Amino acid sequence: MRGLLQLFAAYGGFLAFVLLEAVSLVLIVQYNHRQKEIFSNSWGLLSAAAERQVDKATEYWGLKARVLELQARNIKLMEERDNARFSTAVFRDSMQVDSLAPMFTFIGANVVSNSIVSTNNSLRLNRGEIHGIKPHMGVIGSDEGIVGIVRETTNHYCRVMSVLHSQTRIKAALRGSGYFGTLTWNGSDPLRMQLEAIPKHAELAVGDTVQTSGYSQVFPKGILIGRVESARIEPGENFYTISVRLFNDLSKVEYVYVVNNLMREEHEELDQAGNE
Amino acid sequence: MNNATLIHIGRFIGFLIFQVFILKRLSIGWEGPVFFNFILYPLFIILLPLRTPRVVVLSAAFAMGLLVDMSYDSLGVHAGASVLTAYIRSWVLGWLEPRDGYNVNHSPNKARMGAPWFFRYASLMMVLHLLFYYSLDAFSPVFFVDILLKTLYSFPLSMIFVIIVTYIFDPET
Repeated sequence: MRGLLQLFAAYGGFLAFVLLEAVSLVLIVQYNHRQKEIFSNSWGLLSAAAERQVDKATEYWGLKARVLELQARNIKLMEERDNARFSTAVFRDSMQVDSLAPMFTFIGANVVSNSIVSTNNSLRLNRGEIHGIKPHMGVIGSDEGIVGIVRETTNHYCRVMSVLHSQTRIKAALRGSGYFGTLTWNGSDPLRMQLEAIPKHAELAVGDTVQTSGYSQVFPKGILIGRVESARIEPGENFYTISVRLFNDLSKVEYVYVVNNLMREEHEELDQAGNE
Repeated sequence: MNNATLIHIGRFIGFLIFQVFILKRLSIGWEGPVFFNFILYPLFIILLPLRTPRVVVLSAAFAMGLLVDMSYDSLGVHAGASVLTAYIRSWVLGWLEPRDGYNVNHSPNKARMGAPWFFRYASLMMVLHLLFYYSLDAFSPVFFVDILLKTLYSFPLSMIFVIIVTYIFDPET
């Protein structure tokens, strides 16, 4: 109360001015027809403009939820595709019994750190064990292309070995002809990788699409990787030296999907049985 | 309640009656800015003693404006302009302060401060008051030019009465 009195003593003139002026303005707007119209008109414009700004802001806040929603929808569509499902089609009693079992599922993730400058690059994603990420899972881009393979996981994060890594060996095939080889990176250009072990009798043209072969259990078949930019056969070699221009630019990758192969354990069992 | 207070209360009533019953009838308006409007009542605010507390100046100005509004049928417009004028008064006085300062027991009038100083002060206050009044009357910056023109037309007409009243009564308090 004393503070209030002191405040009034110091700013009494100003406070009285504000109060009386406010009363006057209220009276003007209440009892004068013309001023009332002007006021309500201006107020309408002002509140409409303010509402627009608020809408804009909330739209921005809503973007995070929209991204998650779209990720979920994309995952659903990706899981619907044939390359993500296991066909159990067989002929039985002269009838084709057709059913598709889910084989690949996808987990949406955001890149939290990335590098492209070293010869052994890695990324970090904001998804980890509690989201179902395990080592050796593949990582693909949100639109096209492959990103890498999960190496280590923690509860909330995982580290991904980028395809831009000197040890990258990805089984890739030419779309159409089906010849397959191994995709490697020579450590120089983050937009180009090298496709090795395509035999020299393969029919090949510059511009052919390179996709995942599906022979490893890391990526589904048919994920687009890039386009053949140049192909030549060194003298005395039996294989092409092919440069592949990647579809995705790993220097600005932001949203990715982690590939979860539901039948990986069966493959591992087979591998173990073969080793014994 | 001393003598000076009674004089100012009497002046309050006098200006109010003069404004409402005489000057209001002299005001003739056409469409647009050409507008014979005589505004004298701010002279009451102008002449209030220097030592009057600011809150009292503001309240008196508000009361005066509100009573004028009641007869002009524009509730709030004169009151708002008067309160603004009353608030700006101390700044105008600070601006025009003579080299050796004010005698706080005096009123800022012609008898105490001399004609040149007083008319400079009074005309500045009147211009500001008219500007405030027509701004609140138009109530939108869109009518900026109209506001300025109306102020320009009304100012000399109002100043005539300020001068007449000052020379007839020439009060010391």
